[in-house]
Amino acid sequence: MIKVEGLNKTFKVHKKEPGLAGSAKALFKRNYIVKNALEDINLNLDEGEIIGLLGANGAGKTTLIKILSGIIHSSSGNVNIMGHNPWDRHNDYRKSMSVIMGQKAQLWWDLPPMDGFLLLKEIYQIHHKDFYESIEHLSEILNVKEQLNIQVRKLSLGERMKVELIAALLHKPKIIFLDEPTIGLDISAQKTVRKFIKEYRKEYNPTMILTSHYMDDIEELCPRIAILRAGQKVFDGDLSNLHNQYAKNKLLKAHVKNEEDLQKLSTQFPSELGTIELAKNEISISSPRAKVMDAARYLLNNADIIDLNIKEEEISNIVEKIMMKSGDKVE
Amino acid sequence: MRRYLRLYFYFIKFSLSKAMQFRLDFFFRIFMDIVFYLVQFFFFNIIYKHTTLLAGWDLEQMNLFVAAFIFADAFHMTVFANNSWWFPISINQGKLDYYLTKPVSSFFFIGFKELAANSFLNLIIATGVLYYFLQPFILDVPKWQISSFILLLLHGAFLYYMIYMIFLLPVFWTGSDRGFADIFYAAEKITHRPDGIFTGFFRRFFLTILPFSMIASYPTRFLFTETEQLSIFTDIAIGSGIVYIIVFILWKLGLRNYSSASS
Repeated sequence: MIKVEGLNKTFKVHKKEPGLAGSAKALFKRNYIVKNALEDINLNLDEGEIIGLLGANGAGKTTLIKILSGIIHSSSGNVNIMGHNPWDRHNDYRKSMSVIMGQKAQLWWDLPPMDGFLLLKEIYQIHHKDFYESIEHLSEILNVKEQLNIQVRKLSLGERMKVELIAALLHKPKIIFLDEPTIGLDISAQKTVRKFIKEYRKEYNPTMILTSHYMDDIEELCPRIAILRAGQKVFDGDLSNLHNQYAKNKLLKAHVKNEEDLQKLSTQFPSELGTIELAKNEISISSPRAKVMDAARYLLNNADIIDLNIKEEEISNIVEKIMMKSGDKVE
Repeated sequence: MRRYLRLYFYFIKFSLSKAMQFRLDFFFRIFMDIVFYLVQFFFFNIIYKHTTLLAGWDLEQMNLFVAAFIFADAFHMTVFANNSWWFPISINQGKLDYYLTKPVSSFFFIGFKELAANSFLNLIIATGVLYYFLQPFILDVPKWQISSFILLLLHGAFLYYMIYMIFLLPVFWTGSDRGFADIFYAAEKITHRPDGIFTGFFRRFFLTILPFSMIASYPTRFLFTETEQLSIFTDIAIGSGIVYIIVFILWKLGLRNYSSASS
């Protein structure tokens, strides 16, 4: 469905010294730097698959989305999406995909969403009956029926994103690029958008690429993730594999009944079972995955434990580590 | 074609709803353009107080020429001006993104999406002015020639927009939010002068490289001539054809270079 091979994108950026003197100097001599926005990206997606694209600001997520949706050209490399090269901008391709950018609006600011939808009906040549059925269906799920005839600029951010989602999905695209669809939304609106995307996927099974800074979006929607760091793909795989590959330890937390046991554990806990930290009557142990059961057994046998909890390391922490550290790529 | 006309119908509808929300701007633009029209007539009428012929045209002919370029200008202002005004800003701020993902011509989108509803009233006024100054010629000139004259003026308005685009399209490379609009505005004054006043290099220049004279002056000449219709028509076709090819090439190359804007 989506096949990306050796994709590169470089931008030539003018670097200006600060202040008026810098501007004057730049009139005569300009310093340019070449920024590698994407380097040798390879990616394959099957029909109906969804992948979460993660990375810090400037990692290349949006650039990749823009190339795949045909907005900008690549510098080199091949992209094949349903037999199309996106930047050929063939109408067949443009009819079958949709892009939603959380930071940009496609609906007309001074007009109600319904007017914008009617324009899109004409652009995508959507059949009259299908169009009104889609509006009815999507606006009901997103609970924005009352907002369809209010000027876009008078809607809240959450409502605007919901009507933008409707606008992007009216023509039932087979491929959807979602670039930070929940950015700036409150928790409740984020949940609604996530729930909607989930239900939409269940019903229409589109292929999706989602970028987000919110791990909740990714964890809830994407079984597979790719992590970009400074334009390079450094991880591509199942979200569940992240723990196995990157989280060497698990976290044990125990409530200890008395102070004596707590002191005993702090001095006698075997170091090969993990590193120990104390806080009031709670004990935290970061234990190697293979030793975690031994560590738990040791605790239960050597102290009066009220409550014991074994946790995986937070996904967001692992992702953050991968995004920040330099190292080998993982496929 | 029908699909694009239907899309344009939506653009008109949207633009009208939008324009009527801003009443002051709506009336101010009408006032501003009427002053511009009066100044143009005043200018030539002053000159004709000192001469009876200018570039081979008498005052009656010159008034028709002024009415012709006012009509072309009003049509351009109504249909294209707002779009060309926003074009460099859209490129600079990466607002072309959504247009490029839609299964319609993005050039059509950026050229026609916003109709200046407040200029539409000016277009009606300009049509009335043109009709008034055509009266002395209506009985003497064949109907087909008058119809062709009107069509050539409408084409002139489009040609004006396309010449303007040549000065705006470099924003794909410069990234500025004005392009070379200022150079265009300095040069486009040629549209307001009859081509007959130019000779030699300048005449060739304004008929080929920057064919401003093809916008209103040549259509007016087409109306007055009895023998040169074909050569005038051919000149307009060649002059504007070159402009369209340049715009097409710049647009294609520009899109290749479009870098959008960071999110």
